[in-house]
Order: sequence, then C-alpha cells, then structure tokens
Amino acid sequence: MLEAINEALSQEMERDERVFILGEDIGLSGGVFKVTEGLLDKFGEERVLDTPLAEGIIIAAAIGSAMMGLRPVPEIQFADFITPAVDQIIQQASKLRYRSAGGYSCPITIRVCCGAGGGSGLYHSQENATWFVHEPGLKVVMPSTAYDAKGMLLAAIRDPDPVIFFEHKSLYRQAKGEVPEGDYTVPIGPAVVRREGGDLTILTYGFMTQKSLDAAEQMSQRGVECEVVEIRTLAPIDKETILNSVRKTSKCLIVHEDKKTMGYGAELSAILNEEAFDDLDGPILRVTGPDVPAIPFSPNLDKAWQVNTEKILAGIEKLAAY
Amino acid sequence: MASKSNRAVMEPEAAEKPAPPARHSPELLLGLYRMLVKCRMCDEKARILFRQGKYKGNFYSGVGQEATEVGTAFRLRPDDWVAPSHRDWTANIIKGAPLKFCFAQLFAKVTSPDRGRSSPAHMGFPELHVITPASSIAAQLNIGTGVALGIKKLRQDAVVVAYFGDGATSFGGFHEALNFAGVHKLPIIYVNQNNLWAESVPLRLQTALTNLSDRAKAYGFPGYSLDGNDILGVYEAAQTAIARARAGDGPTFLECKTYRWYGHSEIDPAKYRSKEEVEAWKKRDPLAMFEKHLMEKKLLTEVKKKEIADETTREINEAVEFAEQSPYPEASELAEHIWAASAKGGN
Repeated sequence: MLEAINEALSQEMERDERVFILGEDIGLSGGVFKVTEGLLDKFGEERVLDTPLAEGIIIAAAIGSAMMGLRPVPEIQFADFITPAVDQIIQQASKLRYRSAGGYSCPITIRVCCGAGGGSGLYHSQENATWFVHEPGLKVVMPSTAYDAKGMLLAAIRDPDPVIFFEHKSLYRQAKGEVPEGDYTVPIGPAVVRREGGDLTILTYGFMTQKSLDAAEQMSQRGVECEVVEIRTLAPIDKETILNSVRKTSKCLIVHEDKKTMGYGAELSAILNEEAFDDLDGPILRVTGPDVPAIPFSPNLDKAWQVNTEKILAGIEKLAAY
Repeated sequence: MASKSNRAVMEPEAAEKPAPPARHSPELLLGLYRMLVKCRMCDEKARILFRQGKYKGNFYSGVGQEATEVGTAFRLRPDDWVAPSHRDWTANIIKGAPLKFCFAQLFAKVTSPDRGRSSPAHMGFPELHVITPASSIAAQLNIGTGVALGIKKLRQDAVVVAYFGDGATSFGGFHEALNFAGVHKLPIIYVNQNNLWAESVPLRLQTALTNLSDRAKAYGFPGYSLDGNDILGVYEAAQTAIARARAGDGPTFLECKTYRWYGHSEIDPAKYRSKEEVEAWKKRDPLAMFEKHLMEKKLLTEVKKKEIADETTREINEAVEFAEQSPYPEASELAEHIWAASAKGGN
C-alpha cells in the first residue's frame, strides 16, 4: 500500500501542478514510513514542503492555499499528533463552505498515518478517525487495499471538499496487491462487499477488514457464511450498501479497532436500529478495541488490547447462535 | 483598574514610525477621511440597531480603533486579501462591500454574502477577498497565512492584511502562523489592534512585553509599534509594509496601539475599565484628530463635513431599509452547502 500511495501522490503532482504536499519530515527524509520518498528529488522544495513541527499551521497553510485554488495534501505524521490541528480541521476546514454559503471551498486532502502495529505505545498507535466523522463538511476515508489506497487518494485530491485520508500503518507493508500503473479513481462514498454470505453481516473497515475476512473463512468451514462489508468511506456513510446487506442476513456484527464507547460502531448500530429494526433476528454486536485511553507499550498489554481474529470469531459465534 | 503601563502606551511619542512622513494628495486625505466617517457611522448605527432589538445575537463595536483598519486596508487592490477578526465588520466596507450587504449580514438576511449563516462578527465577502472569520481566536491569522502561501505559490503579487487584537497574541496559533510566514517570507501584514483589553483581561496579564511588536523579532521580520489612532502614521507604515510584501521581502508586524470605546460586545458594560481611562482615550479620537488636521490644512470645512455626514447617513438609511425588507433564508436551506453540490452527503 505504501508504494501505491507514493505512486498516487507522484502521478497526481505530475498531472496537476496545483497539487503540493507538506508536513513533518516528508521531504529530506521521505517520511517516517518512506511514503513520500523520492518526491522531493522529483518535484523540488516548492511542492514538497518540510514544515515546522506545528500541526495547526500545517493544516491552516493547506486551507488558505486551497482557498486560493491550490490542491494541498498535508500529512499528519501520526494520528496521535492531530489534536493541535483539530481547531483548523473542525472550526475551519469543515465549516468554510457552509459558513460562506459556498463562497469559499476547501479542497484539501489530509493524509494521516494511524492505527496499532509495531508496539509503538500510547502516542504512535491511535486511530482517532471517528472524531472527525462527527463533523459534517468533512469526508473521512480509510482504505484497506493497495488498489483502493491509490484510487481513493486520487479521488480525494480531486474532491472539492476536505478529505481526511487515514492510512493504517500496519497495512503499509501488509496490504499487498496488484495496482494498475495508470490513472484511476475509486469513488469516495461507496462501501464494498468483500465477501458474500447469507448468515450474518460483518461491518468493518481499515486493518480489521482482512482480520474479519480471515475469521469469515474459518467460520465457513463450520458452516456459517459471513458477508463482509468494508466501509471504506466512514463519512459520508453509504447506508444503502450496509442496509442491503443487513436486510439480507438479518444479523450484524460490527468490528473496529478503535475504542468502543461512542465509536463508529455505535453510529452503525443506531442506523440499523432506526432503519432495519424489523429485519433483525438478533442483537447488533460489537467487537472493538477496549475502552482504554491508548495502546500501552508493554508487549503483553499491547497484545491484550489488539482486536484479533479470535475475538472476531467469538463475536461471530455469539451472534450466530441467535 | 487601569495600570500605569496601560497609560504609558497612550503617549504617541512612545511609538516608532518605520518611514518619514510623506506628502499626501488632498484626494487621498479626503478619501481616508470619508472612509473613517463611514466606518464610524456604520458601526454606531449597528450598535443602535442592536439596542433597538432589530437583530439578535451580538455586535462587537470597533469604534475608537477605526484608524487601524482604514489606515491599513484603504485602497488595497481587488486581488489583495483581508483577514478580519470578530471586531472588523467594517473591514468589509473598506474592501468595497456595498453597505446594503453589510447591514443584511447584521439582520441575518438571505441577501447577505453567506445567506444569513454567520453573525455580524463573522462577515466575510469571497468576491472581495475578505476571509470569512470564525470565533476561534487568531484563526484568521492562520488561514490568512495559508492564503499568503497560496499567493506566493501562484507567483502573484497580492498581499494579505490580517487583523487581531492583543489577546490573540497569547494564542499558540498566533506563534505558528507568524513563524511559518517568517520562514517562507510570505506576503502578509499582521495588523495588531492593541486596545489594551482582551475582553476583560488587561494587557499586563496577557504579556510581559511593553511593545507587542517586539514579538516580530522572534519570527525574523520587522515589527513596529504605532500610534493606532493616528491614521496617517498607520497608513504610511502600512504602505511600507505592503510594498515590502509585494516585493517578496516577507511579512511585517504592525502594532497599532488603540482603544475600543465600548465593551467587548454590546452586552458587555465594560465595568472593568475606569471612566478616566475611557475618557482619556476618547480625547484621542482618531476621527476627531484627523478632522482637526484636515481643517488646519484647510482641506475640510464645516460645510464639507456636514455634506459627507449627510451623504453617509443617506447611504446607511438605504442600506438598512434594504436589509429590513430582505427575507430570511428559507428553512429548507438549512443543510445546503455542507459539501459541494456534486457530493452525496448527509446521514
């Protein structure tokens, strides 16, 4: 996925001279995970901007230059560090179009490295995507395949509204797959059915997609067929695909890595309750990260935190019993 | 409650000027005067209308500090940008907004530039390059700095004039913005309207500095402390700063020491300030001082003065009538302009 993102940035910067990238350590060092490697050499300092360590102005500089018609792609090095920029994202980017009745727009794509993996402890492991789902005006996406990463990043940069593009760090190297060399987009919005099945629906996204698919395969051997729906765009949400699947299977398990309380699953559950109550044959269950402030450093605590295939299997078994 | 240090900055001789006084054409001087009058009268009218209950919400009067705005935004080019704070409703007027739209903003009518979404404190005007402000303190400095980055990247020679009070200089975002602008030599002029009070907090509790312009040193660009009630001094300093920005030489920090005559907003009786302090500053009214100057130069007469005032009154009355007669936006507009029209959204 790492190469797919690099390729998308490189190709879009070549295609559209309004596009530039900015962030901490993205130029000379090529990024902590080398996502932006080679771009400084290719495009120069004017379009690959190593910024001061100040997330607020990274995003504000992007917003202001987007108002001038440019297409900035700022990077937040770790989702854990996004908080200093939240004022700019929530009070400015998400509301700019609304508060000017369409007079101003904010076509920025904020790339955010997020998620558990690597035992990096409390401040290099958070996901934090759901914070932004609460804010109309923002689009929030998180691809799980290399193909989608390239296609959705190209779609995000071309989108007329602010998009927060979450990249799960564990997928940088784990998500492998064919990526076309040419130009293509994967639209922001639609969810995708990754596996069809008639017994129950798993709604998931990000790093949990593959783990849910693994669990579904194991359950298949036991005669339970799970449908796995990946919600690639967290906001605005594709209700249609979700509702169609749940109406078909009548049962729903929600799987996400982020914390449980007021997490993305809570909203999904509420939507199903409001719009598919009569179709349900069992409770809507959640398998999520625990309500612990952040992932601790010690390996055994880190492991205890992780949502893994075993936890997903336990959830499926519980739901399948209804 | 006024501290001695607050009084010290009232002395105009304490202010430095970056450029020697220039000779200005009568046309320019009268233009500045007309604009000062217009801003003063519109602001006072807005206060009256609020007190009459003609519109809800609040109003943040800038009376007393008009010279800081008029002196810096007067005759900016159409492609130049202004980044106002909540107290700079009149910046729209200086940038060329027809008064009827400004009063429609007060009344939250559909004819305002944002169709009644923002309160008067947050009026912007995209066509005129006035950035729509938000209440988040110093936010306009950050967004304005971003616009300045855009100007530089697009190789334009436009500039951004960004306004902020003394209170905003305590905020982290202020530092981030000015630091970034210094690094990239961005075409922006930071106009600090130091009116000595951040809502009810006196300057001495905001900063240990005497001159806020000292901060510019830390960001690697020039800063000047000015008598913010001397419109010509402000105008001259702004012209120097604008020329510097257009030439690609980077930002300038202009601290304009001034005073707001009224409370933080119309619902603030401002009892934290002494009557003596307010009266002392009213004696240094930027409009009256400039009027005296023009009279002495025989550029203004009582007749001419009345003519300008009457003309402005007529213009304001027409604008208020337009605003009053304009409809409110329909409730059906509530969820419009969240995303681009092409986007599918909403849960």
